[in-house]
Amino acid sequence: MSDPKSLQQERISLFQNVQDSIIPRRVPIHVRFSIGYVAQFGELDMAEAQWNPQLVEEAADKLCRTIYSDTCPYDGSLRYPSFYRSLESQSFVMSSSGFIQHPEVVGMFPEDYDYLIENPFDCLVERVLPRQYKALDPSDPVKMALRLAISLLGYENDFQTTGNIIRKLTEKYGYGPGVPPTANGFTEAPFDFIADQLRGFKEISLDIRRCPEKLIEVCEALYPILFKKGLPVSPTPYSTVFIPLHMPTFMREKDFARLWWPTFKRMVDEYASLGIHCRLFCEDDWTRYLDYLYELPTNTILMFEYGDPKLIKEKLGKKHIITGLYPVTMLKSSSKEQCLQKAQEMLDILAPGGKFIFALDKPALSINDINLETYCAVTEFVRDNGVYQNAGEISGLEFKQEDYQTAPTTSRKIESKYLNAWAESPELAKLQVFEDKLFQYLIFLLL
Amino acid sequence: MIDLEALTAAVGDLNEDELLRMLNEFVATNPSPEEAQAVVTACQRGMAIVGDLFENGEYFVGDLIFAGELLTQSIDILKPVIGSSNSTTIGKIVLGTVEGDLHDIGKNIFRSMAEAAGFIVYDLGIDVKPQAFVEKVQEVQPDIVGMSGVLTLALESMKNTVEALKKAELKKDVKIIIGGNPVTSDFAQMIGADAATNNAAEGVKICQNWVN
Repeated sequence: MSDPKSLQQERISLFQNVQDSIIPRRVPIHVRFSIGYVAQFGELDMAEAQWNPQLVEEAADKLCRTIYSDTCPYDGSLRYPSFYRSLESQSFVMSSSGFIQHPEVVGMFPEDYDYLIENPFDCLVERVLPRQYKALDPSDPVKMALRLAISLLGYENDFQTTGNIIRKLTEKYGYGPGVPPTANGFTEAPFDFIADQLRGFKEISLDIRRCPEKLIEVCEALYPILFKKGLPVSPTPYSTVFIPLHMPTFMREKDFARLWWPTFKRMVDEYASLGIHCRLFCEDDWTRYLDYLYELPTNTILMFEYGDPKLIKEKLGKKHIITGLYPVTMLKSSSKEQCLQKAQEMLDILAPGGKFIFALDKPALSINDINLETYCAVTEFVRDNGVYQNAGEISGLEFKQEDYQTAPTTSRKIESKYLNAWAESPELAKLQVFEDKLFQYLIFLLL
Repeated sequence: MIDLEALTAAVGDLNEDELLRMLNEFVATNPSPEEAQAVVTACQRGMAIVGDLFENGEYFVGDLIFAGELLTQSIDILKPVIGSSNSTTIGKIVLGTVEGDLHDIGKNIFRSMAEAAGFIVYDLGIDVKPQAFVEKVQEVQPDIVGMSGVLTLALESMKNTVEALKKAELKKDVKIIIGGNPVTSDFAQMIGADAATNNAAEGVKICQNWVN
């Protein structure tokens, strides 16, 4: 085995080749396990590990020695109890099993629509956040201020702890490091943002039929906020903005085309105009929307959960980067031979022509979800058999930033009495950096 | 007299304005409980159309949720004229999202559709412990137990709940249906449940067949 540094160089080029429309030496493998799985793998108490993410380092290290991956297999978590518990979150709570989950919650009422359209940021901080986070109660301002500070400290601390563990393991084992955290972004499509913690799944389903015009206006009003939320602080050519896509498969196509798609498409195009790609998790089965996905900027990374790999490759494989689709359930229910056969089938369909990263359709949540030995055999099989004979050739369409320069943003500026124009005065410009961080955190709480 | 076919169509088309207008006009005529019963049956037929359109891929989950809302509104309007007659009841279901899982959208859709089909549903909510299922089954003696879950860890809880029902010697008196993203028929068979589905409309049909 080569030393970690040269291994890392090789892995970096696998991923960069894919993003640069070049056939890599072999199919890159992206394995990720959340903190819940890793805690169980290390026989740790799951709740305790989430409260103190440092505890999982040893287990994560052991996992790195157990399974083959081209990226660090430990992925941490987006949802730590330190900030949700201190804010008394309604929308992210730990269940009796120790997993933090997202129950159906309503943070915005029909009578809030007009205010949200008129003053979106004010409405979010004045009305929606206090409903979802009971410690942010405007009638108890001192508690509100203190708890917000505590939660922000928890957020910074736990992400930093996790980031340090991942960085350490990445260097130790020579994984592809990706880009620094400040070069990536995370946001939601405007419609999904409304559906998620504002109206909730049930209420949005009623609003689609009762007040579609308002929904169009709200998507427009929220667009600049969500665009800014996802925008990386220091982008590189390999930056991605991660956007999980929730609602479309539960909607009729005509509602999707009119309400969901337009602001989302504009968002992805606008990132492309800055040279930034999006990494989209197409939750559920997107078969009936493949033609829409084709319209997205070249080399959008599409992570699929369900669907026919053949059809997806046929329709999208020359333009976009495809990942996901390997059914995690097989790693529990099928024999090793069947799982390897499936891996071969995936390689046969998805690897030709490049633009493919091997990954499961979704990560294993708990230790009982998969047979780890089988998963190890699968990733080793892909490493050994996913080798290209035509490495270095051009792979499908190439991304050209200038193709997207024609989509200048028409969206308005974010205006709010709570946001300051610090950057305009040189001696206060530093405060803008902190306010932008706080903006990121507040909107993150609603994602 | 209300046009029952038009009423069925209004439910099937999810035409809220038309449906509520017809029902309000109907209630204003001070109808007999029998007439009200005929209207409830017409609404149920409309819900069956909604279920079929869902299975055919013309309606999606959002439409089922809207249909459930229409039905709740309709029953609220009709309540004063239905009387105490419970002739629409076709069976009893104890329902819940199993221990460790907090997701309830799928469960709630199934509940609306099961109620629309004439079942009385005892909904235990989310994160329901096996013992809570056992106690409710002892109390209300349902025909069916429905367990829902989204996360893969729900599978373990479903297995534990079936075992708890067996241990309390209640399994033989009920049919068990499991629903949600991770369930499969093979898994249902393995844990001793009678059916599995990830389609609420299909789940209600299975339950209807059991009680017919």
